[in-house]
Amino acid sequence: MKIAFVVQRYGLEINGGAELHCRWIAEHMCKYWEVEVLTTQALDYITWRNHYSRSEDSLNGVLIKRFPVSKSRDPERFGKLQNRILDNEHTFEDELKWLEEEGPYSPLLIQYIQENQKDYDYLFFFSYRYYHSYWGIQAVPQKSILVPTAENDDIIRLHLFKELFRKPRGFVYNSEEERQMIQELAHNGDVPGEVVGVGTEIPDQFAADGFHEKYGIEGEYLVYIGRIDQNKGCDELFQFFLQYKRETGAEIKLLLIGSSILKIPVHPDLIYLGFLNEEEKFAALQGALLLCMPSFFESLSMVALEAWALGRPVLANARCDVLKGQCDRSQAGLYYSDYSQFKQALELLLADSELRERMGQNGRQYFQQRYTWSVIEQKYLALVRQLNKES
Amino acid sequence: MTDNRDNKNKAEMDIRIDYDNVDVKDIMSQIQDRIAAQAEAPSEKENKKEEPVRSLSMPELPDPQPTRVPISKSKRILLKLMRPFTPLIKLLILPVQHEFMESVYRLDFTNKRLDHLNQKMEQVLESLSGELYRSTDHLSTKIDEYNDALNLRLDLAFHDLGKAMEYTKLLHSLSHNLVVEMSKLKIEEEDMKIKARILEKDFEFLNNRERALEKQVFK
Repeated sequence: MKIAFVVQRYGLEINGGAELHCRWIAEHMCKYWEVEVLTTQALDYITWRNHYSRSEDSLNGVLIKRFPVSKSRDPERFGKLQNRILDNEHTFEDELKWLEEEGPYSPLLIQYIQENQKDYDYLFFFSYRYYHSYWGIQAVPQKSILVPTAENDDIIRLHLFKELFRKPRGFVYNSEEERQMIQELAHNGDVPGEVVGVGTEIPDQFAADGFHEKYGIEGEYLVYIGRIDQNKGCDELFQFFLQYKRETGAEIKLLLIGSSILKIPVHPDLIYLGFLNEEEKFAALQGALLLCMPSFFESLSMVALEAWALGRPVLANARCDVLKGQCDRSQAGLYYSDYSQFKQALELLLADSELRERMGQNGRQYFQQRYTWSVIEQKYLALVRQLNKES
Repeated sequence: MTDNRDNKNKAEMDIRIDYDNVDVKDIMSQIQDRIAAQAEAPSEKENKKEEPVRSLSMPELPDPQPTRVPISKSKRILLKLMRPFTPLIKLLILPVQHEFMESVYRLDFTNKRLDHLNQKMEQVLESLSGELYRSTDHLSTKIDEYNDALNLRLDLAFHDLGKAMEYTKLLHSLSHNLVVEMSKLKIEEEDMKIKARILEKDFEFLNNRERALEKQVFK
């Protein structure tokens, strides 16, 4: 069986979101299928400028076919257009124009899919909101499976996508909340779909003590891992954490790991470590009392799954339905929607080591049951089997 | 350190947890109840603060004691003269004054409360008017934008309409001129026809004359 994974960017340098999700799935599924990745030559997701010069490449046993982006994105023009679309009455043509600006605009990729569709049994499209998914699914609706990686934002409510969500043969959702949201929007309950998500790999060896010594970290700490960005709710986390420190005088630190595009307040207990390799990241997580997840929009939080895999509880933003739902289902995390809830939940988790322990166990169990690679692989295989049966 | 904090804070938190079967929803609902209870507590404190003012203790005035002292004649006359004012004097010296003072205190307290409430209301009104001002400002900016867009469209429409009117006028004058020209041509045609008929007659006359002359020559 020959399967194509179609995604906006692909490469070792890309280590976030849907792109990493796609790479991991492609690399795991090449044990079962003949896998090809169809993508663009872009590396930067702001402008989609062509970066990779080779049109064919191979990475970890997966063949990659790259197509050039014909028009790079002008972020300012795109921002204005998006604001106009979201704030004003507009037509379907305006939305198509927005999609073209959103990019990555690669008509050659779509043309290739259209002309070579007979060579593939199914094509998995990652991220609903980009040009390649919309026009790719229009080109081969009967062979397409969409992995939407959708968040509960305004973009998903565009008319364009209501129609798109009724087209593919199947769906691979990241969470129950994502499935519910898409089905409520598009009334596409009749399209087969499975909540799968993505697995994660815990390195065999990582030394928490060595990590603490290397970075001079003493005492107990919370950890945040991910892009340090306003969109990820980090500014609110800083504000709440510092207020909590002022009010309670608790001796606790907050470690920040990841690239930062936000000014971090200067405070001795806010420790920014920048981007760390996988071993160090897991060592930091292992040594933490809990993981903070302040993000408002997530389709699936990989780092929360990693925390649960290591038996660490999570303190999440309740305004993100997916995170709240995951905490409720796993019984492995508390959540907050304002400062008073943040304070109470954090106070409880810090005070009660038994609760942290039990929640950690619950998290580990939740991860083992749903997010180990063998479970994920079997879910993908089962979905394709089901679609084969139906056809 | 952690154990000490554990014991101290566990007692403070007072959240029931079944550790064998952790229920996040239940914990969160207990946390929310706790927050709600804490929010109510300050308002009770405020009420308690007000109580001493309400049960305001008035300064106790000595009860007027009747005295039996010999009254002089002049004093008696003076008392007789003052008899019409007796009720007023009684009012001033009797315990009525005590009630009166209490009422004054109460009124004073009420006034202070009213002032405080008034001040609060003014603050709320100020913030509300700020909000209102911002939103109306935003609204009026939006209205202005729409108005400008509408005016622009109307200008364009009027411009097109003006053009159409000019074209219609030109068309009218063109048709008028065409009618005039056609009439002129008709007249000219008639004129030419008459001239042709005259020329025909002249030609006929000349023919006749030619024939007559030929006859005269060949005779």
